[in-house]
Amino acid sequence: MQAIGLSLIPVVLIAASISIYLVISAQAAAAGLEGMVLHFEEEKILRTIANQRSNLGYITSYSQMQKRAEKMGFESPSVQNIHHMVINGYQGQQPVMIAPPPGENTRPSGIVNSAYQESLSSWIIATFFSDSIAKGISNE
Amino acid sequence: MNRIENTRLSLVSIFLSMASVLILLMMVRIQNNGKYQELSIKNEKEYSFAIENYYPERGNIYDRWGRLLAGNEDVFEVGVLLENVRNPKTIAQILDGVNGLEYFDILKIASQRYDPEKSVYSVLVDFLPSGVIDALSQIYQDYELENPYGRKDTLPSLRGIVWYPHLKRNYPENTLASNVIGFYSFKDRSDGEGYFGVEEYYDDLLAGRPMDTFMPRNPYLLEELPEVPAGASLVLTIDREIQAMVEMKLDEAVEEHQAESATAIILDPRNGEIIAMASQPRINLNQYWQFENQFSKEKPFNQAVGAVYEPGSVFKVLTMAAAFDNGTVDDETIFNDPGRFEYGGSTILNWNRRSFGKQTMQGCMQHSLNVCLAWVATEMGAESFYDYMQAFGIGRRSNIDLGGELVYPMSSPGDSDWYPIQLATNSFGQGVAVNPVQLAAAISAVANDGKMMKPHVLKAVIQNGKQYDTTPQVLSIPIKEETAHTMTEMLVSSLEKESSIALVPGYRIAGKTGTAEIAIAGEYGIELTNASFVGWGPATDPQFLVYVWIEKPKSSPWGSVVAAPVFSSIVQDLVIYLDIPPEQETANQIAIGN
Repeated sequence: MQAIGLSLIPVVLIAASISIYLVISAQAAAAGLEGMVLHFEEEKILRTIANQRSNLGYITSYSQMQKRAEKMGFESPSVQNIHHMVINGYQGQQPVMIAPPPGENTRPSGIVNSAYQESLSSWIIATFFSDSIAKGISNE
Repeated sequence: MNRIENTRLSLVSIFLSMASVLILLMMVRIQNNGKYQELSIKNEKEYSFAIENYYPERGNIYDRWGRLLAGNEDVFEVGVLLENVRNPKTIAQILDGVNGLEYFDILKIASQRYDPEKSVYSVLVDFLPSGVIDALSQIYQDYELENPYGRKDTLPSLRGIVWYPHLKRNYPENTLASNVIGFYSFKDRSDGEGYFGVEEYYDDLLAGRPMDTFMPRNPYLLEELPEVPAGASLVLTIDREIQAMVEMKLDEAVEEHQAESATAIILDPRNGEIIAMASQPRINLNQYWQFENQFSKEKPFNQAVGAVYEPGSVFKVLTMAAAFDNGTVDDETIFNDPGRFEYGGSTILNWNRRSFGKQTMQGCMQHSLNVCLAWVATEMGAESFYDYMQAFGIGRRSNIDLGGELVYPMSSPGDSDWYPIQLATNSFGQGVAVNPVQLAAAISAVANDGKMMKPHVLKAVIQNGKQYDTTPQVLSIPIKEETAHTMTEMLVSSLEKESSIALVPGYRIAGKTGTAEIAIAGEYGIELTNASFVGWGPATDPQFLVYVWIEKPKSSPWGSVVAAPVFSSIVQDLVIYLDIPPEQETANQIAIGN
């Protein structure tokens, strides 16, 4: 019996290895496919954004805005009917900032709560030992 | 456990062991068999990746306030996969009339025989907007419900028709600032290029060119998916509203004066930023292929950088500034104008062929006396005069960041094509050729305390999610600060004394008219002229310089009659857009602020 059992061990091991390999391969392939789908989805979204930006550009283009302004009864001012006022602190129209300047860190910090990034050992130390260490220090 | 069971178990274990060993041996055999290796390589090659044409997004172009001047639009290429076509007639019927397609042309393409080596896919039409594709998709699905997989030949089917999305350059403002923006030849799908203006000059930065990329089909090669970066976006110094205003006024001027064309530049002399730059003709950039119909071979796409011409009297600003700067003349200098000046074997006359008697230098500028300026230049001496002109950048590229800048070299003593008379004629802007932006940049030194800034249209670059602002550059300092102030005051006074049409109520403006005769078969005459005006203000703190050039006006040849009113009209609107209060109000505001 022992001999049979021993002779079957390699078979079982091989079968188990193949099963694990197949499961991992299938998961990797599924993840890969999902990644590819997301990649193409991203491309589609980027195209949609470009399209929407162009549409917005057309809707707010000079000629369209002019038509809208005329329809709403606005008139262009002239030098004679303009009155300038001093508004303390007003800096005038500021230069456009379409993107942040270089050097500015725009990555949002702390997307993942720090609690989820803590290892078990550091949690144990922080929870059970830090107080006593602190107390020890203060007692001294 | 009895003996029989034991034997059975032993046999089963031997069988399983042998089966395992056999499987392993088979795997080793397959791995090392040449035939299977070949098959594996073939499959790897055919199915694990494909070389695809990839279209990264071309960078956007914005005006100085972030308003879109050039962007991208999602469009579709529609074609047929010949192997899958079931009913070519349905395809021809549905696409008949779309983008000018004709039934029989579509039928011919869709009916081609599938040949895996030669004909697999044919393009039917390109650049279809998403709306058309949505409708096409709906019809496709309806037909599929009626006739799944197109199995019945008698029923309609759009099987075989496919569409692929890609981005197309789009210009939401159509003609606005077209001379500055240029265009991207998006119709040449595989080798589109930027032509003229910003699209040409910053073509590499804007990029967005299609490229062949390795696209993995094997999910294990996910990390090899191409990361082709989008092109950088550009923020220009152009103000869309001011640009539109200038274009409108130029169009009106051309019509009113029956001129051949008109050009205007507005720049900020303090940093060289081009706020507006307009010329004629202009084209709808979304139909860029029509530009050849509107532009003759001689006509530059942007006259402001691509046309060289004799500027005439506006050039006197540079001559007089140089003379003041090197001390040849000063406020006290008096010139007794005899009405003619003999030099280098030729005679120089004033614009009205009359003499003006005793004149200060301000009088010379106010009456725009050729004779006086020719005398000033000869008093300076050729070497000094041309040194100053070099410092003002005459004869050299302004290096503005726009495609198609044309310059004409300035001859000076020692050159084979230079004659002494040129010193006299150059002094009042004849016998010398400039492009408008070159002249505007040179004169901006007078408006900016003697510092000549590099004219430019790029305000910022947006790349990898960051905005990089450009830094203004000093090109040269041709004259001293006090000379610049003297010149500005002189030109303010001369405009006010002659009650010029160029004046703007409430603002002190410095300016100079120009009327350059155009030579026909070597003979100069007043029939054909380049009428121009250059001015800047407010005189105490110049924030803008406006240069207007009307080419060959028919109503009047004079810059003071044709170009000066256009200048005044532009400045009256410009001060509103730039939020510059009249000088009296500024004084009041300072008092209130204090």
